[in-house]
Amino acid sequence: MTREEVFEHVKGILVETLSVDEDKVTMEARFQEDLETDSLDLVELVMTMEEKFGIKITDEEAADIKTVGDAVDFVMTRVDA
Amino acid sequence: MRGDKGRPYTSPHWVTDAWSEVDDGRVVRVVVDAAGGDNAPGEIVKGALAAVGPQLQIILVGDEPRIRGLLPQGVQNVSVVHAPDVIGYDEEPATAARAKTGSSIVVGLKLVHDGEADAFVSAGNTGAVVAASVLYVRRIPGVKRPAICTIMPAMPAPVAFLDVGANAEVRAEFLRQFAIMGQAFAREVMSIPEPTIGLLSIGEEPTKGTPDVIEAHQLIAADKRIAHFYGNIEGRDIMNRLVDVIVTDGFTGNVGLKTIEGSAKAILGALKATIMWSAKTKLGGLLLQKDLQILRDALNPEEFGGALLVGMNAPVVIAHGNSKARGIAQAVRMGRRGAVSDLLPTIARELGTSGASV
Repeated sequence: MTREEVFEHVKGILVETLSVDEDKVTMEARFQEDLETDSLDLVELVMTMEEKFGIKITDEEAADIKTVGDAVDFVMTRVDA
Repeated sequence: MRGDKGRPYTSPHWVTDAWSEVDDGRVVRVVVDAAGGDNAPGEIVKGALAAVGPQLQIILVGDEPRIRGLLPQGVQNVSVVHAPDVIGYDEEPATAARAKTGSSIVVGLKLVHDGEADAFVSAGNTGAVVAASVLYVRRIPGVKRPAICTIMPAMPAPVAFLDVGANAEVRAEFLRQFAIMGQAFAREVMSIPEPTIGLLSIGEEPTKGTPDVIEAHQLIAADKRIAHFYGNIEGRDIMNRLVDVIVTDGFTGNVGLKTIEGSAKAILGALKATIMWSAKTKLGGLLLQKDLQILRDALNPEEFGGALLVGMNAPVVIAHGNSKARGIAQAVRMGRRGAVSDLLPTIARELGTSGASV
C-alpha cells in the first residue's frame, strides 16, 4: 500500500466515521487542535484503523499519534512489516 | 392543556402508557446490563422480569450464575449471557470501553451490533455506556455527536431535554442536530405529534448566548427539517413547559437537570416538614394526602426509567444509577418503543449525509 493510499483510507475514516470536514484533513492536521476531535473520537479512530488495516495499536502507541501524518506513518510501518 | 380529571397537570402515564402497547406483532429483544447500577443485579433482574413478554424478550448480561439464581423456574423469553467484567465509575470511559471487552456493557452492546438484539439498557457508568455505544453500536451516519435525551416531568406535562451529559462542549452544528433528534424523539417516543423546540440560552433575544448558541439559533431557525422552532428559552421556562423539547449542550443540560432534581427534592422536603410541624398542619396534610401523592407521582422521574442516547444505530437507554425494578422496567419499555417506532429511520433520513440542510 502506498503512502497516498493509506492517507486516503485514513481521510475516509475521519470524514465518514468522525464527520470531520474533508477540506481540513491534511497530513499536518492535528487531531485535537485542527480537526476538533475529542478523546472518544480518537479511540474510535484507532479502533477503525485496526479493523481497516488489520493491525493492532496499543494505548501507548495511540497516545503518540497526534497528527494525520503520524497515523499514516504508523500504518506504513505496520503494514510493511 | 387539560390534565387528568381537571388537574392542571398530567401524569407520566400520558407518555409511558404507549410504551406498554406491544400488540404490534413485533418481537423486540432488549439487552439489559444486569451488573450496572447501585441495585444490581437484584432490582435489575426484577425490573426486566416485570417488562418481559413474548413481544419483549430480555437478554440479561452479567455474572451468569448469579443472574440465573434470581430467575424463577421455567421463565420464558429470558436468556442470559455471561460477562465477568464490570466498568467501574472511576475508570476513564473511552479507554475502559475499548479495553474491557468482557464487561457487561461491551458484551451487551456487541450483541446489538451483531444483530442478536434490538436495544440496550444499562443503569451503569453513563460515560462508559456512551463511549461503548459510539465504539460498538456506532452512530447513525451523519450524526456528529449523540446526545442523552431525558424526559423531565414538567408542568403541566413532560418535556424532552437534551443533551444532559454526553458532550460537555459542543459546536453550533451539534446543537442543530440535537434539535432534529429531539424533535424525532418527542414525536416517536413521547407521542407529541407537532413538538415545539426551544434553544436554552441566557435571554430570549437571538443575540443572547455564547457564540455557538447564537450561531445555532440561526442554523435551527433556517432549517426546514425543524417544524416548530420557538426560539430561545431560559432556565425558568423548562419546568413551565414553554416548549416540548429543550436543546442545550451536555454541561449546561447536566447542571440544569441536577439543579431541577435537587430543587424539587428540597421543596418537597420542606413541604413534608411543614405538614409534620403541628397537629393543625398534620390535619391539613391528611386532607391533602391523596392529592399530594398524585402530584408526587406526576413529578417522579423514575416513571420514565431513564434517558435515551439519541443518534445511535439502535436504542440505548441509560437508566438512572439508583434505579429500582420499576425504573428498569420502564427503561426496558422505552427501549422497545425506540426500536419499533420511526425514531431511528427519521434520524437517519434527516441527518443522513445525503440530506439537504436548508
